[in-house]
Amino acid sequence: MTSPEPSPELAALLRASRPAASPELRARVREIAARQAPKTMPLWSRLRLPSRRGVLVVVPAAAALAIASAGVLGLARSDGSGEATRQLDTSYGQLESQGAQKAVPQETSPVYGATDAATPSAATRSGAAPGSLAPTGDRAQRVTATMTVEVEDSDGVADSAQKAIALTQRLGGYVASSSVVTGDDANAVITVRIPAARVQEAVSGLSALGTIVSQQILTQDLQGDLNQLERRERSVRAQIAVVMARLESESLTAAQRAALEARLGSLRTELRTLRRAIAGTSAEARMATIQLAVMTPEGSAVAPVPSRLDRALDEALNVLVWEAVVALAILIVALPFALVALAVWLGNRLYRRREDDRLLTAN
Amino acid sequence: MHAVSLEVTGPTAAPTFASVAEGCLDDVYGYLLYLTRNSAVAEDLTGETFETALRRWRRFDPRRGTPRAWLLAIARSTALDWFRADGRRRKREERAGTAEPRSSVDEAFEGFSPVLEAGLRELTAGEREVVALRVVLDLDGEETARLLKISPTAVSTRLHRALAKLEERMRHDDVA
Repeated sequence: MTSPEPSPELAALLRASRPAASPELRARVREIAARQAPKTMPLWSRLRLPSRRGVLVVVPAAAALAIASAGVLGLARSDGSGEATRQLDTSYGQLESQGAQKAVPQETSPVYGATDAATPSAATRSGAAPGSLAPTGDRAQRVTATMTVEVEDSDGVADSAQKAIALTQRLGGYVASSSVVTGDDANAVITVRIPAARVQEAVSGLSALGTIVSQQILTQDLQGDLNQLERRERSVRAQIAVVMARLESESLTAAQRAALEARLGSLRTELRTLRRAIAGTSAEARMATIQLAVMTPEGSAVAPVPSRLDRALDEALNVLVWEAVVALAILIVALPFALVALAVWLGNRLYRRREDDRLLTAN
Repeated sequence: MHAVSLEVTGPTAAPTFASVAEGCLDDVYGYLLYLTRNSAVAEDLTGETFETALRRWRRFDPRRGTPRAWLLAIARSTALDWFRADGRRRKREERAGTAEPRSSVDEAFEGFSPVLEAGLRELTAGEREVVALRVVLDLDGEETARLLKISPTAVSTRLHRALAKLEERMRHDDVA
């Protein structure tokens, strides 16, 4: 859009009558100008919000500070993490065996005959089973075995899984659960129940499926629990007999009879519960649980220890992620307030402009 | 055309407040006279403008505009404050029944031809200031738009309307 120009006559008239300050005003302004400008700015002007140029400096500076702090923290933490990683590597087998122990139900009953072959030894590498695993004497025992064997390849995994299942069936057991994965990450995890008397045979057979990487066998005595349950059963049966004898007498009042019948009912309920517990414990003692993991060398390989630079970068990335999370949280909290403040500021600005326009039109 | 010459102490030295005040005094006064139509008020507001400018002088950034535009912005803000205060005063006087007629308050534009004075009286303050800035002080469209906080198009529109009114008034007077 071209700017409108006044006619030459009007332009000449306007410029010719250009106002000039009077000598008094000029003297007054010179007097003002002769004063010293204030050396310090008022507090309110020092606290003004940063201009756009300020934002252009502050935002990159904050980003640089965030990255630098992440880098420093990453470097500092990479030292400790490396130590932790090395410790983790050396105790890998122990942790694995502890994990297996945790899988066993936590009970206060004594554990007998725990055999750990987590760190492959010459014996386990050769496929030999640890000492005698069969329950000792006539005692009821819970036998739990966890073992990991390594086979050549994916075909070996499937083949070993089939052999393990066949062995279980041959020994009179059954498969409680199984998971067989083929392909690049081939592995199999099979949980079988084997008659306790044949657990030794089962472990030997399963050990022969490949090279043993780790093996743990827990034997937990259940005889004490079983004896206690049987004693309580005998006691309950005796009490039932007494109550029934009293109920057969004819000298009971209605209230006494009702109380005895209620007592008889609760005793019979307890007896049923005890019988189920005895049967369950006996069944637990009859069958041993064996969990077999079959994997290939690729699957069982321990991940290489990352370099100091990799660890530092990982840690720095973690710190940056956390910084971003914190910044996002602050933003989420502050955003509504900022929007309200912005709306108030814009509204005030709009009002001032309209007010100015109104004043300039009215005068 | 009026050129502002500023006294500087060296090729790269920043102008002093005194030199800026000396060089821009007529521009500030002229602008305020156009805006207020009252030479006494314009003189008071000019003094107030330079008082304010002296207090803010340390905050003046030459990269963001010329000293003249900076002073004119302060003058405009000072004049708008005066208009607000004057409006409130008039309302109070009207409520009290002591308000004087507007025409008696305004003085004539000193040194203006009667034709121009009559024409300027028909313009609003907003139209007078755009004439003062664009034609009398010779600011360009962009600088005027920044000062008035409106778009350059709005500046052109307002100037066109003001000039049309002035031309019309001058033609009318010629015919008469």
